[in-house]
Amino acid sequence: MKTLLNRINRLFNNRGASKEDAKQRLKFLLIHDQVDLTPAQLDAMKAEIMEVICRYMDVDHQQTVFRLERLQDKVALVSSVPVRRVTQRPETISHSPT
Amino acid sequence: MSECIVITSGKGGVGKTTTTANIGAALALQGRRVVVVDADIGLRNLDVVLGLENRIVYDLVHVVEGECRVKQALIKDKRIEGFYLLPAAQTRDKNAVSPDQMRRLVAQLKETHDYVLMDCPAGIEQGFKNSIAGADRAIIVTTPEVSAIRDADRIIGLVEAAELPEPTLIINRYNSRMVKAGDMMDKDDILEILAIPLLGMIPESEEVIVASNRGQPAVLDEASMVGEAMRRVARRLEGESDVPFVALEEPDGLWLAFKRWMGLAPVREVAG
Repeated sequence: MKTLLNRINRLFNNRGASKEDAKQRLKFLLIHDQVDLTPAQLDAMKAEIMEVICRYMDVDHQQTVFRLERLQDKVALVSSVPVRRVTQRPETISHSPT
Repeated sequence: MSECIVITSGKGGVGKTTTTANIGAALALQGRRVVVVDADIGLRNLDVVLGLENRIVYDLVHVVEGECRVKQALIKDKRIEGFYLLPAAQTRDKNAVSPDQMRRLVAQLKETHDYVLMDCPAGIEQGFKNSIAGADRAIIVTTPEVSAIRDADRIIGLVEAAELPEPTLIINRYNSRMVKAGDMMDKDDILEILAIPLLGMIPESEEVIVASNRGQPAVLDEASMVGEAMRRVARRLEGESDVPFVALEEPDGLWLAFKRWMGLAPVREVAG
């Protein structure tokens, strides 16, 4: 009985979902086609940038956004990094390489 | 003033050849002198869609290599006044022709025709470069699918890089039932992404397969919705403004289809 209900539910919930999937995937594809940066490279860049940010601040990783967006004919890197608190005062930062 | 228009898409199988055949036939039915050129050398198909495959003697490569005159290679469509096909070679490859040769060929064809419609092969290599070489403008054909739209976006960039004017878009195989259900990107979704003017919307229909089985372009069938959509594309190309898009709804019920066939019910229209 439960599986039947699930199936009916899925039937209805799936309706109208695939067009949005198509749009999102397409927008993502076109941006990466344009800047020639693979999703893996973007992830690597994000990890490096986050590493630097985390030396200074305690941030909410769950809420962090890092993505490329198409603005007319240009591509922008849009990011939002919610800060919980600053962990290190600027004057105490040492510049020794790690 | 003659014009050469290239019909292109990047992706294969979206309906370039069917579109070229129908728009060409529709323009000729409207009284223009039209030649459709199959630029897909090695994989010719336009002749089959038009039902002219048995009449080929010479082809495009023979013409550019000087083995025959243009006039000898042109196949006249006996059903439609002023409509001609220049077939592709089947046994050669795309490198048999250069962009310069295509430019000269197009210039020659424009002397005797109002429209030269170039059916471009899929891809972005030599065949594409040859096809756009002599073109004055481009029509991009796409379907409401991620892969086709992605390729259309790429082609739009290449057309602009070739310094042709802004291309226009034909959305082929539009299925209103799926759009209504939210399972197909609609016209506005596609235009938002590709950002070029819309020239036509062609409904998805079994008519197209029947038409190609018979070698009879859909525009020859007065009752065909696909044919009507194609005729309207031709009218827009001729500069007629405010031609409504054919309503892209679910197929008619049997009775309404019969009435339409009898000419007792109008073709559905929507503004837009």
